[in-house]
Amino acid sequence: MILTGPEIVRQRRLGSLTIEPFNSRQLNPVSYNYRLGHTLRTHRAAVMDTHAAHELEEFAIPDGGVVLQPGRVYLGTTVEAIGSTQFVPSLIGRSSLGRLGMFLQYSADLGNLGACHRWTLEIKVVQPLRVYAEMITGQVSFWTVTGARRPYAGYFGRIDEAAVPPAGLLTEPTARLPLPVPHRTRRLP
Amino acid sequence: MILTGPQIAHEHALGRLVLDPFDEEQVQPNSYNLALGPALIHYTGTVLDTRQENAFETTTIPDEGLVLRPDRIYLGASVEVLGSDHYVPIIRARSGAARLGMFVHVTADLIDIGSTGQSTFQLHAVQPVRVYAGDRLAQVTFWRPRGKVVLYTGKYQGSVGPQPSRIHRDAPQERA
Repeated sequence: MILTGPEIVRQRRLGSLTIEPFNSRQLNPVSYNYRLGHTLRTHRAAVMDTHAAHELEEFAIPDGGVVLQPGRVYLGTTVEAIGSTQFVPSLIGRSSLGRLGMFLQYSADLGNLGACHRWTLEIKVVQPLRVYAEMITGQVSFWTVTGARRPYAGYFGRIDEAAVPPAGLLTEPTARLPLPVPHRTRRLP
Repeated sequence: MILTGPQIAHEHALGRLVLDPFDEEQVQPNSYNLALGPALIHYTGTVLDTRQENAFETTTIPDEGLVLRPDRIYLGASVEVLGSDHYVPIIRARSGAARLGMFVHVTADLIDIGSTGQSTFQLHAVQPVRVYAGDRLAQVTFWRPRGKVVLYTGKYQGSVGPQPSRIHRDAPQERA
């Protein structure tokens, strides 16, 4: 079952889920509106390699916004730290952005039980689109679970900055990977 | 929990969800198929802006169909008016459409409880594809909520036909 807006508030008060910072004006009937953080990252490599490390460029979104271009993957983060040990989060973009051709979390919208962090947003656009920092960007929902739970032992769910898979993540069991470290980025002028 | 097809038909008969027009033949094992209406919207500007009103044109899909181009977002709408005050609808493409490289939404599959209207499809084609009015491109599922229900009263309530983004109307912090 999916939690209603009032139930999200109640479970947050009980400490069963995290949304920080929280503003009741961002509550919806069955979700909570998250915002886009101030930086975006893009891949440096023209051809990515699932077995290689990934170098990223990082840039701050200026006050006047930034135009996202088709054909690129942009990685952003939520302003909010989001997670729960009791409910499974799912995260999507808002329809007002989908209607402008902005893909958000276009394939991996399901979170992990126990992961709590600022989510890395997967963004691509169909047509050039100007976006702004701190804009309401999408919704996170929470789902009830059935069955025994195991503690979160994944990789991304502890990282608060836009993160890409380390070499090996897509081929090795997660437990064999080193602990997450900040990724090498080059800040653009 | 997700409603089965027979439960969707049952809840429809009880008036606890809206699917209008309703056709028993479109009931699937755990979803209901949605048809594409005749109107399509595309934006006319080259750079879209989330803080500006974006100019658009509406076209009617001719009898011979219309080819969707990969470099554009198109907005269509379901023929069916859909919604529920008791269940949460989620829409997605039928696999037959996805196998042709079509997206019927690009991010927002979740519909608020209490929202009723013709659902806007965010149509995107990976390769050029010809579509026709009446194509059954999408499906809707219904999910049970947990907790006190507060119904949707947002800006897309009661939509008729495809609705362009109204994000530019946002106060600094509005929703939907």
